Amino acid sequence: MASLKRLETEFPILDPDFQSFCALRGIFTVQDFLIRDLQSLVADAEQQPSSERFMQAINQVLYVIDGLHQPWLNGVDLMEDAQKNKHVLSTGCEGMDFLLRGGLRRGQVTELAGPSSSGKTQFCLLTASTVAYKHMGGVIYIDTGNSFSAKRIARFLNQISCPASEEMQPRVLQEVMNSILCHSVYDIFSMFDVLHCLESKLKYQVMCRGDNDERLIIIDSISSLITPILGSSGSQGRALMVSAMSLLKKLAHEYNLAVLVTNHTVGGDGGIPKPALGESWKTLPHVRLLLSRDCGSNTYQVSLLKHPSIASGKAAKFIIND
Amino acid sequence: MEVGRLPISAALKGKLVSAGYTSLSLLSSLSPSHLARDLNISENEALDILNHAPHDGRIDTSGGHHIISGAQTAWDMLHEEELLTRITTSSVDIDNILGGGISCREVTEIGGVPGIGKTQLGIQLAVNVQLPVHCGGLGGKAIYIDTEGSFMVERVLQIAEACWDDMLANNAISQNVHAGQVGMQPKDFLENILYFRVCSYTEQIALINYLDKFISEHRDVKIVVVDSITFHFRQDFEDMALRTRLLSGMALKLMKLAKKFCLAVVLLNQVTTKYAEGSFHLTLALGDSWSHACTNRIILYWNGNERYAYIDKSPSLRSASAPYAVTARGIRNNVSNCKRIKLM
Repeated sequence: MASLKRLETEFPILDPDFQSFCALRGIFTVQDFLIRDLQSLVADAEQQPSSERFMQAINQVLYVIDGLHQPWLNGVDLMEDAQKNKHVLSTGCEGMDFLLRGGLRRGQVTELAGPSSSGKTQFCLLTASTVAYKHMGGVIYIDTGNSFSAKRIARFLNQISCPASEEMQPRVLQEVMNSILCHSVYDIFSMFDVLHCLESKLKYQVMCRGDNDERLIIIDSISSLITPILGSSGSQGRALMVSAMSLLKKLAHEYNLAVLVTNHTVGGDGGIPKPALGESWKTLPHVRLLLSRDCGSNTYQVSLLKHPSIASGKAAKFIIND
Repeated sequence: MEVGRLPISAALKGKLVSAGYTSLSLLSSLSPSHLARDLNISENEALDILNHAPHDGRIDTSGGHHIISGAQTAWDMLHEEELLTRITTSSVDIDNILGGGISCREVTEIGGVPGIGKTQLGIQLAVNVQLPVHCGGLGGKAIYIDTEGSFMVERVLQIAEACWDDMLANNAISQNVHAGQVGMQPKDFLENILYFRVCSYTEQIALINYLDKFISEHRDVKIVVVDSITFHFRQDFEDMALRTRLLSGMALKLMKLAKKFCLAVVLLNQVTTKYAEGSFHLTLALGDSWSHACTNRIILYWNGNERYAYIDKSPSLRSASAPYAVTARGIRNNVSNCKRIKLM
């Protein structure tokens, strides 16, 4: 909310006369403008000698305010957007695709929670490989635990492209692997910086070409960034968590990306593990999944905790090969 | 509101918002004295805030190569991973399941019951990292952080002497002998282990915060062994929420150290019992919230009379176990005394 003084440089009509007129009525910033009674202000302005200029200035400020909120959409617009842009991305894993009716949906944030060594990173790497190969899309992998393994990605790509266990051509492999970008971040502020840069990059791509290359953002794991700040005195930790998720949701919706974040679990009632990060986290992701692994094997169980259009409680099994 | 993303205190954020600065673009063309006057804070604080605000407006217009600074493509990382050398554990079986040894740029957690050989393995790695690259080491120094007091210098000397004998035996066979390495005596191994003794959790956290500066001055450190990481956090901690925050913060700092200076971080951990699915299991201490703080996890356990190492968590290695033995010469392969034929 800028002060009217600062708007003067951009809109010369808000000259010092208008500013002192407003100041007399206790209006210094755009926020004050919104709070005060506009009708009495307009009535006062009409009684002033330079009433036309003042009316123009008032309209100018209102115009600036109108330009700042998101455009109104009706149901038809939303339906068109959903059909044209918000497709599903296959994860490469049949059981998971079946459970999610196709895979990760673009425009939604999916959370994958599970105890340690339950296959979350493996699933993230598999999804990254599949999206890079099958959907020819860019993948942004934000890694907080040094667990991004390029060798594993290469193995997955070989499995996906040539099931007859031949080697993939190096040139094709290079092209696909070049579309997976990995960042290592170790605190939540660095993650904000990365997302901020990503936003400007995506804005630029849309400006130049009308479409962006990236399809998927993976954050493995977001809980290790949030746990050090959550719960201390004051609600700053929770505020940062909420603002991180709202930024991710905004990026997902505006640029048609799918977002996958991983979470760890803590002990719940009766010793059953429940996802970490507490009650206020539960409302933030669109889709929530709970993963577990059968001891010592490659079989994984996943159950659906929350989904906007599928009943929760469904479960599926899948295998990730070595 | 975008100023919520700046790493500054909540009081300063409140002052920024009430003065009308809610988005970062408003801060971009401001001078520190102007900001200080507006917010009624000192000029140093204003300068601090402006330094944290990212520099907007510099969108990458160089067409083809749209890489955000600090990112690497998976293809580049693949080549880097192939070039990365590993630290041998002196047991060929364990090295095999680890893909060559303990890898750098990763945090490896090793846990097991008391007496299984965790400290022995830690000492062996601290000695092995000093070996030249062709012998399985990295030619670097080691930092050993001891929280329990289980570091025995005489044992280190014993292991170093055994290592030195092995190296001589190997060099006698091969013709290429570096003059520098032949000059290494067993006592030199002791010189290259930097030892810190930590007596409380605050000291531990302070030390890990200090390691960043320390390692930038001692660039030849290639491994940090912490024995054991959980000791001071297990007893007498009243505030569990604080413990979780401290531990996760510590885990992130260690990850950052491993990546930034390209060294291996080895954390030794104790075990505890957990009640799950109707029975008691042995599981690593500090619970689920700590268990995601490492990149790889190796669990040491007894199988009959033999010691085994099992890979519990790894992004790229298969789950496998290997036997090993703790001998007077350090960690070595398990030479089974059993006369029965082993079924493969």
